Amino acid sequence: MQTRQTSLSLCLALLVMTAACGDRKAGTDGTVGTTGTAVRVTDVSLGRALGADKAVSDSTDKFRPTDTIYASVATDGTAQSATLRAKWTFEDGQTVDESSRTIAPSGRERTEFHIAKPSGWPAGKYKVEVFLNDQSAGTKTFEVER
Amino acid sequence: MGIFDKLRKNDADKPKADFSDVQSGSSSTAAEPAAPLPPLETPTGTSGQSGTYVVVSGDSLSKIAKRYYGDANKWNRIYEANRDLIKDPDLIHPGQRLTIPGA
Repeated sequence: MQTRQTSLSLCLALLVMTAACGDRKAGTDGTVGTTGTAVRVTDVSLGRALGADKAVSDSTDKFRPTDTIYASVATDGTAQSATLRAKWTFEDGQTVDESSRTIAPSGRERTEFHIAKPSGWPAGKYKVEVFLNDQSAGTKTFEVER
Repeated sequence: MGIFDKLRKNDADKPKADFSDVQSGSSSTAAEPAAPLPPLETPTGTSGQSGTYVVVSGDSLSKIAKRYYGDANKWNRIYEANRDLIKDPDLIHPGQRLTIPGA
């Protein structure tokens, strides 16, 4: 009986140690902040409108000059602090806008960035690049048509 | 002037688009990071590591202990260091200056 209890205790101890090792691995694999699991960008999508969950409800890569353009960035992971940045550029790299947002993600989250231009977007090809803690995490190209 | 020079000149002559009126914003389903710790005031004791903290609305000893020691269970250290000010450890008031013993 005692041997059985000892074996059970050993198994439990091993389980705890394995779990601890797993956490440490996650922590060195791009973890942001001091605790939590690695945060990563899982999707970047573009559209003309957003839902309440910050996901685009009208996904497209073709816009009209009067459109507000939304980039919805999906992330997964937990951190005390992570900074997302969206850099929007036009054709040969001319910067259109650059903005960032610092979040404390907890699991799956969505962060949206949007741009609008009251005088109308010039027709042409555009690009939005998303950075997570200053590391490029995704790029989307789109076009504004006359 | 070669054809490449001409093309390069045409590119240079092309006026840049004006994006000065672009409006931008962002929002997220994620929470915003917690506000940074308020700094301790200049140490008042002989130990260079202790300091004072001014209680703000919503504070509790365990919250302050969590902030400064990383462990809410260490609230008793702050309580013991401020027995003259705190009669009931569950009741602290905004504006009270608490001594925070060094970690």
